[in-house]
Amino acid sequence: MFSQLDIRQRFEGRMWFFQLSIFVLLLILLLRMINLQLLQHEGLMLQAENNRLNVVPILPTRGTITDRFGTGLAVNHISYRLTMIPERIEDMDALMTQLTSMMQWTPNQVKRIKKRIKRSRKDRPVLLNDKLTWQQIAPLSARLHRFPGLNVQAGTHRFYPYKELTSHLIGYLSLARNKDLEQGYLRSEYIGRSGLERSFEKRLHGTLGSQQEEVDAHGRRIAVLQQQPSSMGQDIRLSLNVRLQEVAAKVMGKRTGAVVILDVHNGEVLTLLSTPGIDTNQFTLGLEQKQWQTWLNDSQRPLLNRTTQAAYPPASTWKLVSSFAGLRHHSPLAMRSTQCKGFIQLADRKMRCWKRRGHQKVNMHDAIMHSCDVYFYELGDQLGMQNLSSEARLWGFGEATGVPLPPESRGHLASNMQHLHNGRERHWSRGVNMITAIGQGQTTVTPLQMARFAAAIANGGDILRPHLEAGKEPEIIRHVNINPEYLKRVQESMYAVANKPGGTAYYRLRHAAWKIAGKTGTAQVISMSQNDDHKLNRAPEVDKHKDHAWFMGYAPYKNPKIAFAIIVEHGGHGGSAAGPIAKAIVKELAAEESKP
Amino acid sequence: MISVLRRMDKILIICLLSLFILSLFVLYAAVHEGDIAVFQKQVIFWCIGLLGFLCVCFVPLRLMGLLAWPAYLLALLGLALVPLIGDVHMGARRWLDLGIVAFQPSEMMKWALMLMLAHWFASREPNTWVNFLVPLMMSIVPAALIVIQPDLGTTLVLLFAAVAMLIASGFAWRWILYAIAVSPGVLYVLWHNMHSYQKQRVLTFLDPQSDPLGSGYHVIQSSIAIGSGGFWGKGYLEGTQGRLHFLPEQHTDFIFAILAEEGGLIAVTLLLVLYGVLISRILTIAGHAHSRFGALLSTGIASIFMLYAFVNIGMVSGILPVVGVPLPFVSYGGSALLTMLGALAIVMRVAIESKGNIPWQRPSSPLS
Repeated sequence: MFSQLDIRQRFEGRMWFFQLSIFVLLLILLLRMINLQLLQHEGLMLQAENNRLNVVPILPTRGTITDRFGTGLAVNHISYRLTMIPERIEDMDALMTQLTSMMQWTPNQVKRIKKRIKRSRKDRPVLLNDKLTWQQIAPLSARLHRFPGLNVQAGTHRFYPYKELTSHLIGYLSLARNKDLEQGYLRSEYIGRSGLERSFEKRLHGTLGSQQEEVDAHGRRIAVLQQQPSSMGQDIRLSLNVRLQEVAAKVMGKRTGAVVILDVHNGEVLTLLSTPGIDTNQFTLGLEQKQWQTWLNDSQRPLLNRTTQAAYPPASTWKLVSSFAGLRHHSPLAMRSTQCKGFIQLADRKMRCWKRRGHQKVNMHDAIMHSCDVYFYELGDQLGMQNLSSEARLWGFGEATGVPLPPESRGHLASNMQHLHNGRERHWSRGVNMITAIGQGQTTVTPLQMARFAAAIANGGDILRPHLEAGKEPEIIRHVNINPEYLKRVQESMYAVANKPGGTAYYRLRHAAWKIAGKTGTAQVISMSQNDDHKLNRAPEVDKHKDHAWFMGYAPYKNPKIAFAIIVEHGGHGGSAAGPIAKAIVKELAAEESKP
Repeated sequence: MISVLRRMDKILIICLLSLFILSLFVLYAAVHEGDIAVFQKQVIFWCIGLLGFLCVCFVPLRLMGLLAWPAYLLALLGLALVPLIGDVHMGARRWLDLGIVAFQPSEMMKWALMLMLAHWFASREPNTWVNFLVPLMMSIVPAALIVIQPDLGTTLVLLFAAVAMLIASGFAWRWILYAIAVSPGVLYVLWHNMHSYQKQRVLTFLDPQSDPLGSGYHVIQSSIAIGSGGFWGKGYLEGTQGRLHFLPEQHTDFIFAILAEEGGLIAVTLLLVLYGVLISRILTIAGHAHSRFGALLSTGIASIFMLYAFVNIGMVSGILPVVGVPLPFVSYGGSALLTMLGALAIVMRVAIESKGNIPWQRPSSPLS
């Protein structure tokens, strides 16, 4: 069929076909390479870089908070993090059992950790446990070589050396939430949630740094290519005197209450104590839900900052406001005296003085010194609600003080007129005016407002914005126009409260290191019958029905330095419950001053 | 002996030595931060291989023809034994343990079939049913045995090489169309005999992005490696994809990506040209062969080289499915290198015998 020549020719023809096929196939490959290496080069180059580079954030160190003498109130402690790369673990269950006993994890923690491992990438480090102390991590750290895939890293965590003492003032931190991520925070960053940690968040936080790392396909770091260091947050020195706060807390003991001490000249806060406090370190050490619930449900309400967030009836301390109103409006009573028989008759009601036998003949000076209720019932009746409330507004009540500790209560002042349900207004009844004048009506004030009021009395009428930073320019919100003579009269009366026999705080404060001018107050918690004689002086059986004790004022009387407001919840009488705290404070201050 | 060396084809020698040098450079780049022993082993394999190459150059082609039937039958026996007593490795049963060495009958069958078909067609006329169907069965039976192992890559290489032999032996194109027409049926049987991991590979090939961390990961990462190389490459030992282990099997099947990443389009073009010259030269040698057996054998070998190079580069660059075929002369692997060098030596022998008589040997018979 085929001649040799045919076969030969056909074979040569087929060789040409093969040569052509080779050319075509190689051309296809070359075109593919040109496509990848020239046309797609940019994009693929970028992908190769993304593969290779891992940008790791460097968290900034948070600025510290110290008191006016440099004592640390919020500091950074070295702590350790335990991480794991799950894909390098051979026997996960055995390891978890071992770690649980070594790290003393609770079953709840173990559950949480296991869940986190399950949800995470197997080739990247997973955080197992944060904020470990050296004591906790040391046993594991020493045997780390026996646990491939585990890693221990050093970092810092926030520590509050004074715990409960400064908890409300300093506040606490917690990890960023979804809302914070929108503002550029990272999920692993801690953010101030309350107190100064929150108010000064921007200054304390510092700026994030970053590190460009070369990583391999398993996410292991091969080399550090570039580093943009983080910058530490600003350190803040407070005006606070933590020793003073300690002294106040010591005298306060287990009782609930608040102590505010201000510098009368520049509004610096020297003490801002609210008891009971909470150990805010538990937030940074990983707060258990149970603990939070306990705090939340505690009848003593430890989460409440009583200095700014709690508003109390001002009780007899309010008699100072009423006195200023009376003097300003030239009330007839302000210049003369009245007779206190222990009560005043208002139609069919008896408005009682705290002293059943009465104070007999009292003028304004005596009424403040002895805290006579009848005198101020009459004064309030003469002044009316409008004068009382507007006087209170002048002295900074009913408005936020502007201290950088939100949220702040404004307290409450009765409106000038009574608003009725039908939308009309009418004058308050005489009885309401009367009890408002002695601080028992609707009026509520915060201890900080009260301290600022005391400071204004001491400095001649300047309402200051309380602030917490040492050396900050003082800010005068307004100057209260008051005749200096009138002011002097009230100051002298306040002096008499603590230093003249018969003054309501004389017994407790007569030997104080500095001469104190002040005013006591005893706020009724449950209203006691004004008519039922035999119950009047009976001591309440239950603590929580006892009166709140106020003491506010300033010291030293001549050349004042500090103003204070003290409230002891259910403390009983103002002079005896709150007075000793003031005495301890001035003792401490006098001792500090006498030191070189 | 001198005369044999003198008759060697110079272009083939240059191509071989260029591939030798290139492969060592690329292999070193692939393993220099990891298992350097791999590189040392491959150097030893090359030394053994080149020595073997020289030895095979002295074996007369006639003897090869005599080996055709025994080699083919032995390989077939081995393939038949694999399902019965073979070792399971990575989910596939491919290896026969002969006590001293593990032996892969499918690898042997590729070359035995070439030998067999070249021997068959050397003395037979094309375009007859008997001469068409017998070699077809000779190819399909081992292909069927290999596909059930399963080893998709080798099966395809085997079938394509068989078709190439049909073309080379001078069958009319319509006969070749008959052979190709069978392929849809073959594909159907193939698909149903594939393991799920192989089906997955084919499916992933169609859409590599669908499984970026699984099978598609290989192709995506190698494409990134190739593309990021650009025109000039990242520089020798400067590639990041390989160095940081983003490339899988970077010293075996995916070694081309290392070359492309570090050497860029320049190095890629060099390698493609090198392959082109080598294979083209083999075909030229086949065209000038004094024996039809030698001519057909050379053509078969050229087609296998071409298939390997095309399929390997095609799969690494993402235009073909990942079937596990080495890059000729460059990928790490002793047995693949030795068999390829052996095959190239046979071509060299064809070239030697076509350059006139060798004194101590009978003159080759002219084209029979």
